Amino acid sequence: MERPPTGHDVELAALAAAGDRQAYGELVRRHGSAVRGLLRRLGADSATADDLAQDAFMAGFEQVADYRGEGTFGAWIKKIAARLYLKKVRRDARLIFSDNAEPVEEVMVRDASGDAASRIDLDEALKALSRGERLCVSLCYGADWSHAEAAEALNIPIGTVKSHVKRGLDKLRAKLARPEEGARREAHG
Amino acid sequence: MAEPDFEAQLSRMFAEAPSFPDTALFNAEMAAKLDRGWAMRRMFIGAAGVAAGVIAAFQILSTRFSSEVSQLSKSSSHSFETEISAGVAKFNAVLTTPSSAEAVWLAAGLAVVAIAFFVTRVVEDF
Repeated sequence: MERPPTGHDVELAALAAAGDRQAYGELVRRHGSAVRGLLRRLGADSATADDLAQDAFMAGFEQVADYRGEGTFGAWIKKIAARLYLKKVRRDARLIFSDNAEPVEEVMVRDASGDAASRIDLDEALKALSRGERLCVSLCYGADWSHAEAAEALNIPIGTVKSHVKRGLDKLRAKLARPEEGARREAHG
Repeated sequence: MAEPDFEAQLSRMFAEAPSFPDTALFNAEMAAKLDRGWAMRRMFIGAAGVAAGVIAAFQILSTRFSSEVSQLSKSSSHSFETEISAGVAKFNAVLTTPSSAEAVWLAAGLAVVAIAFFVTRVVEDF
């Protein structure tokens, strides 16, 4: 049995650019869950998220020679995945940004290990956001996009992105603070 | 909680990759996809190389044939049709003479292989 390649992401990416599929497979193993998670957090259902994650990694393999270590590989591949997702939802973009009342339905996959309370809290809290808020917050905080990049990709004014992010952050803050407050009340009570 | 603190906390939370029960399956599917994609790519490159080689071989042969024609057409003692016939006859003679035909087809084959190899390397490097 072959040992999986080791080394820094940049080295693996250079090997992958030379056609080494084993090296790229290792990058998939390292970043697959992050990409799948991001796509779910952006609002994709499980099946769509996994399909898009695979498409993103395949596109990444084709373009891996363009990655020269500026920024992390994780951020680079997440950007590709986010662009693919936006391409898919762009037709619905107008609907998403005019519909600011409806929170997203259950689309997250529960963490099987259940050992990271903060992660579960985030995924749970994201459900309280509208699709537009969730998209903007996840792009800016999950995929490290600037407001301007998000606005350009979504083809909406930057002010709209900022207001969605602000409303989204307010909701997340309230949701994420609640368990702590509850625990505090229990401790005092 | 202050805004920058909360934003930093949120970024950290987003940076934590979830774990999925089917991670191994996802990785295996990706590996299979990469293998399929690579096989398709190699087949495409190989086909493109062979096609380029065949075209090049035909070009070489036709260039040789047309140069014969142009040389013959310069001769003033015969009519153009006669020259063409002579050129075709000469070309056919080259192909039908056992040793010459072998040499020509061997050269054409080698040219196809060489150009296929060259195109394959260029496309892979690109």
